[in-house]
Amino acid sequence: MEPLAPHEKIFVDSDIVDDENHGEIACHECHGGNPDDPNWNTAHKGVVKDPTYPDATTACGDCHDEINENYQKSLHVSLRPYKLIIDERASSNTVIRNKLGCAMNTHCSECHSSCGQCHISRPNSVEGGFLDGHLFQKKPPMQEVCTACHGSRIQKEYLGEHEGLLPSIHKEKNMKCDKCHTGEEMHGNGKDYVHRYDVENGPKCVDCHKEIYKREAKNVITHRIHKDKASCHVCHSQPYNNCSACHVGKDKQGLAFFKTKSSWVDFKIGLNPLKSEKRPEKFVTLRHVPVDKRTFDFYVKDALSNFDTLPTWKLATPHNIRLKTTQNASCNACHGNESLFLLEKDVENNEKKANKNVLVPVNLIPKKQKWQPK
Amino acid sequence: MKYFKVIGVAVAFCLVLIPGNTFLCHAYEDTQCFQCHTSAKKLIEATREIAKARPALKSAETSGEG
Repeated sequence: MEPLAPHEKIFVDSDIVDDENHGEIACHECHGGNPDDPNWNTAHKGVVKDPTYPDATTACGDCHDEINENYQKSLHVSLRPYKLIIDERASSNTVIRNKLGCAMNTHCSECHSSCGQCHISRPNSVEGGFLDGHLFQKKPPMQEVCTACHGSRIQKEYLGEHEGLLPSIHKEKNMKCDKCHTGEEMHGNGKDYVHRYDVENGPKCVDCHKEIYKREAKNVITHRIHKDKASCHVCHSQPYNNCSACHVGKDKQGLAFFKTKSSWVDFKIGLNPLKSEKRPEKFVTLRHVPVDKRTFDFYVKDALSNFDTLPTWKLATPHNIRLKTTQNASCNACHGNESLFLLEKDVENNEKKANKNVLVPVNLIPKKQKWQPK
Repeated sequence: MKYFKVIGVAVAFCLVLIPGNTFLCHAYEDTQCFQCHTSAKKLIEATREIAKARPALKSAETSGEG
């Protein structure tokens, strides 16, 4: 993503007056400020940079009332699962929780989006800037919006930016994020979800690949044998990015920062920690997330005293899908291949307990096959 | 003459009262907001002033992938 010069970030394309839907709305009607004051310094008194966050009712709700109704429950706005997961790992001590809350407000809560930060500007968390001179974008552009935030994992996987790995086949077919992640999914449906994988109108591979279990389909036997046993990603994703040990703090100027210890490309199959009707598979791909027992030590010690309640290797849906991968080259490229599975030896000692439910015991690794499908 | 008056009233009605017409809906083009934010020159000057007055907002200590 090309960086924007400071003036480019706030340059308004005068074509906005031709926008039949938004062109009639004067700047100050949404942003406030004094439109008659020639001194920019005083004219901006009371200006709201993003009038769509935290509440979009005034700016967007009059016309987009159905979308606005669910706005607060959109995961991009509420960040609810994010908060719930940290809460679950957190100490029950009230003093510690309050300090942790401050740390989260400083570091975690900034990573939200809003109507404006998808349809008008780049998200604030990547320093903002109008997408196209404040012209309203019906479909947010992938690289300036979606992967601007979802960069280190999704972007690198999808575009094939990891050395030696290919882009997703969907990228090669010129598919943008919104092809699978629809506006309806992004805007929320009014339900409070505990986890992003619970979202009812989230994408499923079989939404498009409807034919794979039909008798006449190519590889039907392989697909039927593995149905509900292994997720699509187990066979069709390439190695993907993992991160460890994120620590947050403030520097001498009081500016917030984060540091992650390392990141590495890996591929690990583990036991499904989020088994459900929607995701019944026994084996799924797992990704190490950057949480650490001491992530919030700068603010308060032992904040995550219940660290072991959740795995640090989490269900992952890598975005670098290929029809043919190393592990699906033959049955025995995967069956009996211990290196593909998350075993106890692969996990740091201080994280073994947290990951006990996702580690694959050696006796559960599928045995080598003599039979090969035709 | 009567017809001219009728036409004149109709034109005035269109200009002033019909929502969405050019005369009404683009009145904000004269505001200071619009005048400044559509001028790259003015914005460059203003953002340079701001950069001088305000320190960096991002810590240089951030490292690694988020």
